[in-house]
Amino acid sequence: MNVAVFGAGLVVFAAALGIGWIGSSAMKAMSRQPEAASNIQTAMLIACALIEGVALFGAVICFLAN
Amino acid sequence: MTNSVHIVEEMQHQVHETADRAHYVNQWVMHHVTDSGEWHTPLWSLHLPPWISNNAVMLIITSFFLIIGFGSFFRYQKGKAPRGWTNALEVFVLFVRNEISIAYLGEKDGRKMAPLFLTFFFFILTANLMGLCPLFSTSTGNINVTMGLASITFFFMVFGAMYVNGPIKFFKAFAPEGVPWPILVILMPIEMIGLVIKCAALTIRLFANMLAGHIVVFSLVGLLVTFGLWALPALAMALAINLLEVFIAFLQAYVFTVLSAMFIGEMYHPAH
Repeated sequence: MNVAVFGAGLVVFAAALGIGWIGSSAMKAMSRQPEAASNIQTAMLIACALIEGVALFGAVICFLAN
Repeated sequence: MTNSVHIVEEMQHQVHETADRAHYVNQWVMHHVTDSGEWHTPLWSLHLPPWISNNAVMLIITSFFLIIGFGSFFRYQKGKAPRGWTNALEVFVLFVRNEISIAYLGEKDGRKMAPLFLTFFFFILTANLMGLCPLFSTSTGNINVTMGLASITFFFMVFGAMYVNGPIKFFKAFAPEGVPWPILVILMPIEMIGLVIKCAALTIRLFANMLAGHIVVFSLVGLLVTFGLWALPALAMALAINLLEVFIAFLQAYVFTVLSAMFIGEMYHPAH
């Protein structure tokens, strides 16, 4: 088995953990402050994009190593 | 005895054949997501001249589409709320100007810089969506294109900030007041490298998102080639991922624009 495949799995695991965490926190915040939902959503999307960027860094390295 | 040997040989043959097909699909996927000097479609196959590549053609088509599209959809309607296509454009334009440009750069600079972010948003959006249309390929799935876009952000982060704040204040922003000098020696280079890293992150984010999305769609379609009709459910999955890609095309255009505005705004107003 290729090591890059293992790396890709690790990247997915970590990214899912991070984005899931942000999503759950945003849900909690939105249910507590429904009037601030749009602001929270924007902040959530930006944070998700930052995590996704790092995760895709890893994914690209896995592509290159494969 | 001979019968079982025959069955084993048959199975091995099938396994080899599947592996061959998987290898073929692998090459096919790579051919479709990388830049080349040809433009293959089911309808025509074009060998482009050496000074232009497939993605460059896509960039030119994107630009012309935007110029012609905006020129024909926009109608100046005096003294009343715009109707039709102009109204549809106004929703996006006002969103980018108010929620992105003015929100991160302030009232005065925000209005001045709005055309840049509008260009970023609509150009990336069109290029992303074009990659999902048949006959066209994704120009934003090429790292050179996204790096070009990010270097525009870099230009405004450095030279735009120098123009707005003056060169001395620009460099002062890297050294916050009240910090002892041993820490400053470490902090300043990190802050300066951070400028480049922010733009590199912008580059990789857009490029990798577009590339990875298309590889997933092509791989799911490729399962049909590898495993035959048994993999028909993968086609439904490919359709679902394709629809997700439409959402991601909007999201990445938005994210690139917002992060550019955020980075440029940080450099324009270093106090906060």
